[in-house]
Amino acid sequence: MDIDIGFVAITAVTLACIYGTLAIGVSITWSSLGLINMSYGFTFATSGYGAWLVSEYISSSGPVVILGGILTGALVGVLVCAVAFIPIHDKPNFTVRGLIASLALSLIGTQALLYFFGPQSKTLPPLFGDWELELGEVVLTADKGGAILTSILMLTLALWWMRSSRRGLEIRAMMMNPHAASLVGIGVRRTGFYVMALTGGLAGLASVLLSQTYFVSPFSGVTPLIKGLSVALCGGLGSVGGAMIAAVMIGVNEALTADILGGQYILITQFLLIILVLIIRPRGIAGILDKQREA
Amino acid sequence: MANLWKNPIANWGVKEEVDNAPTIPWTSPIKPWIETVKAKQKLYKVGRLRYYYKFPGHGARTWHRWRYPFTRRRILNIRGEYNAKSLRREKTILDRRPVYWVLSFLAMLMAPLFMPVSFESTLLNAGAVFFIYAAINLCWTLVIGTAGIFSLASMAIVGAGAYGAAYLSLTHGLPWWSLPMVGSVIGLVFGILIALPATRLEGFYYALLTLGLVELCRVYVIQSRTFGSATGGVYGADSYLPDGISELSELTISYYVCFVVMLVVLFMFRFIQGKRLGRILRMAPEKREAFAEATGVNYRWARIQVFIITSVVLGALGGVYASHFHGASPSLFSMDAVLLGLAMLVIGGIGRSEGAVFGTLVVVIIDKVFIEWGPLRLILIGLIMLLVVLFLKGGVFGIKQQFRAWRNKKKSENRSTRAEKGGEMLPEEATETHDKDQIFMRRFDKMQRDYLKTLVTEEIIEEHKRSPLGQHSEPLERLLTYFRRQPQSDKYAIVAIELYKSYRIIAMSGQRGVPPRVVEDKIYTSETEAYHAVFMRRVQDLLES
Repeated sequence: MDIDIGFVAITAVTLACIYGTLAIGVSITWSSLGLINMSYGFTFATSGYGAWLVSEYISSSGPVVILGGILTGALVGVLVCAVAFIPIHDKPNFTVRGLIASLALSLIGTQALLYFFGPQSKTLPPLFGDWELELGEVVLTADKGGAILTSILMLTLALWWMRSSRRGLEIRAMMMNPHAASLVGIGVRRTGFYVMALTGGLAGLASVLLSQTYFVSPFSGVTPLIKGLSVALCGGLGSVGGAMIAAVMIGVNEALTADILGGQYILITQFLLIILVLIIRPRGIAGILDKQREA
Repeated sequence: MANLWKNPIANWGVKEEVDNAPTIPWTSPIKPWIETVKAKQKLYKVGRLRYYYKFPGHGARTWHRWRYPFTRRRILNIRGEYNAKSLRREKTILDRRPVYWVLSFLAMLMAPLFMPVSFESTLLNAGAVFFIYAAINLCWTLVIGTAGIFSLASMAIVGAGAYGAAYLSLTHGLPWWSLPMVGSVIGLVFGILIALPATRLEGFYYALLTLGLVELCRVYVIQSRTFGSATGGVYGADSYLPDGISELSELTISYYVCFVVMLVVLFMFRFIQGKRLGRILRMAPEKREAFAEATGVNYRWARIQVFIITSVVLGALGGVYASHFHGASPSLFSMDAVLLGLAMLVIGGIGRSEGAVFGTLVVVIIDKVFIEWGPLRLILIGLIMLLVVLFLKGGVFGIKQQFRAWRNKKKSENRSTRAEKGGEMLPEEATETHDKDQIFMRRFDKMQRDYLKTLVTEEIIEEHKRSPLGQHSEPLERLLTYFRRQPQSDKYAIVAIELYKSYRIIAMSGQRGVPPRVVEDKIYTSETEAYHAVFMRRVQDLLES
């Protein structure tokens, strides 16, 4: 048995980039708002439809479609924040209720998508043109190369924004200690909107990038949601670095499994890996303790 | 008020009494009274008074209680008491839930008799589905609510049991009665496997992991050839229905079979929730585990026990499912199944058996009876779930408690904002006072003084100056009555230094053996003048208070 190392590496990197984009969104939402955003899949599916609408009615050029997806994602994120975070974030039992509220939202949202767009899946136009890059023996297709480049670019932009801007400072303060952040005058609700818009935008980006694999359909969000959640879980909720490491791990695992064992074993090996990581480190690779989030 | 003051003793023939005395316009005392006794906050008709029917109890019946056979446990929580007024013996059912349960069981038993003929098959089908899902949700609410393990894998265990049982029945020809047993063995294995990470992981890590497991099961089942990737499920499991009966009697039989299944699971729920395990787990709710551990409660082991017991039951339910639906389909593992199940739990209230059953009823009615609505009915369920989560703390059956808590909060807020101090007792003082009559006396006194202040006018003072004694107009009479009624301490009196020549105002000490004190040096030359001076002092004190 010979493993095509170049192909595996490129697939792994592509997957790692996309999963990282998803997982960082989940992770940031959890650590700054204390909300497990189960409607991430809904955001994902809706931004796919947003991008599709943009490509149908406005322009089918790559950047415009990507922008459309990101904007739709951010919009849905704001909507989720307004419905599932703002009314209950100061109520007792918020974590469970927030989880259930976001699940309810995703139920409503996917059924609404089904109602309006029907069950047929839509396809987006090729976003990155049609080119190939040969790196030695390995061929980097436009699809993968574009996905890698765009997601790295957008992630870098988002993280840079979080590091250097005033809003990013607020979000990072909320991630460290929401109670203390509100004491020094950081508005919890306002920051909630920023966070949800940012993470929604990331989900939108991932949705557009993954649209070649998972076609745009009402239920296309489930698998990415599970992947994003499990990568975030594996990396430790609340840690961007951990999420990146986990994304690389999961990506490598997925590419290797697909190459060696076959596609249908991907989820099995993936969960075995995650359970293994969680049994060794119950809070994930770099997870913060729950005690820190309390208050 | 009328400008004429009728003298009540004029008719008695007292000499020099006038029939009436003219008065100036004045406000009636009933107005401030009505204003005072009126509730300051909005009163709600719901839940104002707890109403309990009082059953009579007499003689031997006084102490009679129904008990479960061979135990001392009572079926109904009845309090016996004597009516304080009539001294009759009375009994009150404090917890009426068993009564409601029995009534709803009766309704479920009788329901097939009253179904409209055109909808009968739909309704019977929905009823059977309702019973099966209610049984599943009872187990699930035990895991999430009682054991506090946020597992989303309950439907996955049912699905595993159903798939395993259907597969074995199909390949080995197992009879229908063995399917629940096969299912429970599968459930046990699955439960142990899923419970293992629960010892290490907490809260949401576990929820997300179980969600992942559900997805894993779904993908596996869809892709696996043995489990019917081509046919969309495993079909052809042995059914518990006898051959060769009409469709309607088939539906009726399955309705009652599923009803019995739900009853069995309800008993299981009661035996876990109401006995030792349930007590241990209620001792250790979320965020108070450390306390439970410190008191020697091994809550982890109790949680795992509950989880494994419910997994066995869920697996058995999977067997029943396979037998009922003649097989299993991948939709058992779908995200929508998890979501609908969670909606059922949430609508009724997590951790309550009645909540699980009621929520299932609501969701099944919307989902199975209004099929022609298409995706809209799932949107409706989602909306109900969302609203319940946003506004209710413990689902529909938590409304009562939540309303009471809210009302008590409002009450105490109103009590604490009423800080106006005019001789009245503040809440802290009132709780400290032994004689509670004082609270009301002082409240009434304050109201009365506020009212009397409005009566003091130039005309009244003039009238008193004219004739301090004798019949007065009504406002003046009310003022004087109030002044006379005051307690002895610091009450003004007139002392005659020299009769008809000099008078002086003194104030009583109110204590036996302590002499009165002189209030002022001024000497009044006549009794009338002194009377009026005392009146003026009292009016001044009133206005200053």
